[in-house]
Amino acid sequence: MAQPELFTITDGVQLCAVQADTFKTGRITVQMALPLAGDIAAKAALPYLLRRSCRAYPTVTALNGHLDTLYGATLGASVQKKGEAQILQISVSAIDDRFALDGESVSAQAAQLLMQLLFDPKLEDGTFPQADVDTEKRLLLERMRAEDDDKRVYACRRCEEVMCENEAYSRNRYGTAEEIGSLTSARLFSAWREALETAVIRVVLVSSSTPDTVRDLLRTHFGPLERRVCTIDTQFVQTAQAVKTARETQALMQGTLVLGLRCGMRDSLDMDPAMRVAVDIFGGGTYSKLFTIVREQMSLCYFCAARLNSDKGILLVASGIETENEEKAREAILDQLRAMQRGDFTQETLDTSVRSICDTIRGYNDSPDVLCSWYGNQIFRGTAKTPQERIAEMQGVTLSQVRDAANHITPDTVFMLAGTGEDSHE
Amino acid sequence: MNEKRYADALLDESYREIRHPSGLTIRVLHKDGYKSSFALFATKYGSIDTRIAQPDGSFRAIPEGTAHFLEHKLFESEDLDAFARFAKTGANANAFTSFDMTAYLFSCADRFSENLEILLDFVQSPYFTEETVRKEQGIIGQEIRMYRDSADWEVEFNLLRALYHHHPVRIDIAGTEQTIAEISADLLYDCYRNFYDLHNMVLAVAGNATAEDVLAVADKVLKPAAGKPAVREFVPEPKAPAKTYIVEHMPVRMPSFALGYKEAIRTPERTVKESLCTSVLLDAVAGRSSELYRRLLESGLINTGFDSQYFYGFGYANCEFSGESADPERAAAEIRKAVAAVRQTGIAREDFERARRKLYGRLVMGFNDVESVAVDLVESYFAGADLFERARVCREMTLEDVNARLPHILEDDTAALSVILPADGKEA
Repeated sequence: MAQPELFTITDGVQLCAVQADTFKTGRITVQMALPLAGDIAAKAALPYLLRRSCRAYPTVTALNGHLDTLYGATLGASVQKKGEAQILQISVSAIDDRFALDGESVSAQAAQLLMQLLFDPKLEDGTFPQADVDTEKRLLLERMRAEDDDKRVYACRRCEEVMCENEAYSRNRYGTAEEIGSLTSARLFSAWREALETAVIRVVLVSSSTPDTVRDLLRTHFGPLERRVCTIDTQFVQTAQAVKTARETQALMQGTLVLGLRCGMRDSLDMDPAMRVAVDIFGGGTYSKLFTIVREQMSLCYFCAARLNSDKGILLVASGIETENEEKAREAILDQLRAMQRGDFTQETLDTSVRSICDTIRGYNDSPDVLCSWYGNQIFRGTAKTPQERIAEMQGVTLSQVRDAANHITPDTVFMLAGTGEDSHE
Repeated sequence: MNEKRYADALLDESYREIRHPSGLTIRVLHKDGYKSSFALFATKYGSIDTRIAQPDGSFRAIPEGTAHFLEHKLFESEDLDAFARFAKTGANANAFTSFDMTAYLFSCADRFSENLEILLDFVQSPYFTEETVRKEQGIIGQEIRMYRDSADWEVEFNLLRALYHHHPVRIDIAGTEQTIAEISADLLYDCYRNFYDLHNMVLAVAGNATAEDVLAVADKVLKPAAGKPAVREFVPEPKAPAKTYIVEHMPVRMPSFALGYKEAIRTPERTVKESLCTSVLLDAVAGRSSELYRRLLESGLINTGFDSQYFYGFGYANCEFSGESADPERAAAEIRKAVAAVRQTGIAREDFERARRKLYGRLVMGFNDVESVAVDLVESYFAGADLFERARVCREMTLEDVNARLPHILEDDTAALSVILPADGKEA
């Protein structure tokens, strides 16, 4: 696999290209980052609206039929929060030309299609057709509702909302139901222009071919635009004040307890990679304190895991528990944090953690999708650090750095989604 | 040692299948340029195996959920449990139990041989005591309760409970808190002897590792087994579903549904051709480029999560359409109408071509991922097929093959509908 190459297409638009002939597929992802503010709902609906059709393939049926003939090429659309940025993503994956049965160039057509979706959508009277906007409004509302039906996801989101209530981060990445309900094609049209003209954009290409075609396509399309690149700032709250608590009850068999903690980071690279390792020893792998002690020894929960969000400097611990064990589980989790802060872990555990993290990172090279996320994640840094370079950084982490990182962590919020414990399902 | 090599030039892949003297079959697909390897050690023993064959040919019932329980317990040994051993190497280890298999797995980019040794060793070293069994009953009880809160899980299992009268595919994979209470250490040893004979198992490896890497460890660690594959009992199901409608109220915001058509089968297993022709047919009828999909989407009856699948295993087969819907019953009625029409006319040639090309592309894409390759190596082995048969069948499939499936599937009087509705009845 070749080293990644970075190209500046125009102000604020970068292409990161990885040439690799190991894969059956090629993939292109386009990430457009905007502040998590303003018309969040319109921006959230945009990638899905762009993914549904374009001028050349003006209906869902025509576009999906075209994808079928491109050997089941897939288009992805999504909206994510990265710190206090709203990232709109649209992507295409298609089989490598070598595997097409009739010798046609699938990859060139896939790249072309992605450009058509982004730059040449279906418009009527200069704007998006109202019927399409109405369907996408409904789909976005349903997507939002369905996410609440995954109780773990819901409890984590609620914990973040309570924890960051006075920060932009508390905003739902889809906006509110009211904002979605009132969406108009004019608002979506201006979100489209805002994204193309002001977003920080990173395109990642993983393909067996040279990046020339995609680079030239991007230059042709972005060249004529007048770009004024937005600025995106994320507020890092370093220390929690008094611990906040919030609680909801639903007719569930099981409860979900989520602890939100502040990591004491000043920016996304502060205490990196020691913080990453600290969180892993605390509640990452099967060797972590939360897994071996809270889950296995104490049998308090079927899952209990910690996840670092370095883009916001926060840490969430989610745990599936019997509702009556709420207090016991909370104390057990916090006990393990205190143990981390006392430095109650060995060099052997540190080695285990680093080895495991590095083993996972080494495998990133084996998937076009993962490589796209890996390089896409570096959007704000403008870098193209390889997995190998990241491994070298990880291997330098020391016991005292990890303990020091753990000592910057403070508990901020406890959110409990309580179950009634009854089987109301019959 | 008996060895075969399989290759597919159009896919640019090949693998080796070795019949090891211990009795175990080993399949290895080496991928040039890959850093990681994925290994899967699997036995043909899943949640549907609720009866053990006796020497006299009769069958004895075992509690529901035993296969899954055994999977959990195998991770423990007298000294260091398997998770702790894998932690030292940095591998990512796990296990799963499905309807028809139990598999133990790891992925790693470093120290492959050491990891494979741990995998083969712990699966061959059962250690159960009454005390550890009791403790596990609590942990699995929590897991069972967790799944009961998942609407996606419930809508699917309710459909199976509606479609099947007695086939064990209708029971939860983990069993219930009542059935697992009946499990004892002795019973686990019985099941282990019956189902974990190496002749009933397969080892599949995909990625950076080579067959030589795998065999060096296998020669060292595998204990010869004298037994033979476990026997499964085929009990045909009545053609009609047990229930045509099943509804459950849960604390959800989006209602969801699964519409299933049970297939009347005379033999327990489906061929690769039957399976792929059915998938192509379902995609032509309800895929994203179909007329039905457009109509349902535009009339607000489905969202982009709508999907269809051919769901089958030993003794069961059904076609399913599932998704979220503000009005599940109307969505199901529309699907039934479209399905009835297709049964009259068959699918059109252009729809067939599109669906077949898509399927072929997706089969090619599957070879990117070492996990998916390893799983396919296992599944195809248990199905008595080679890994490339699906791609071959897909390349050769005709419209006539696909439409020839229609008389056997999707009959309206074999259908059942499973629906999950919000408990408060207010949403959507």
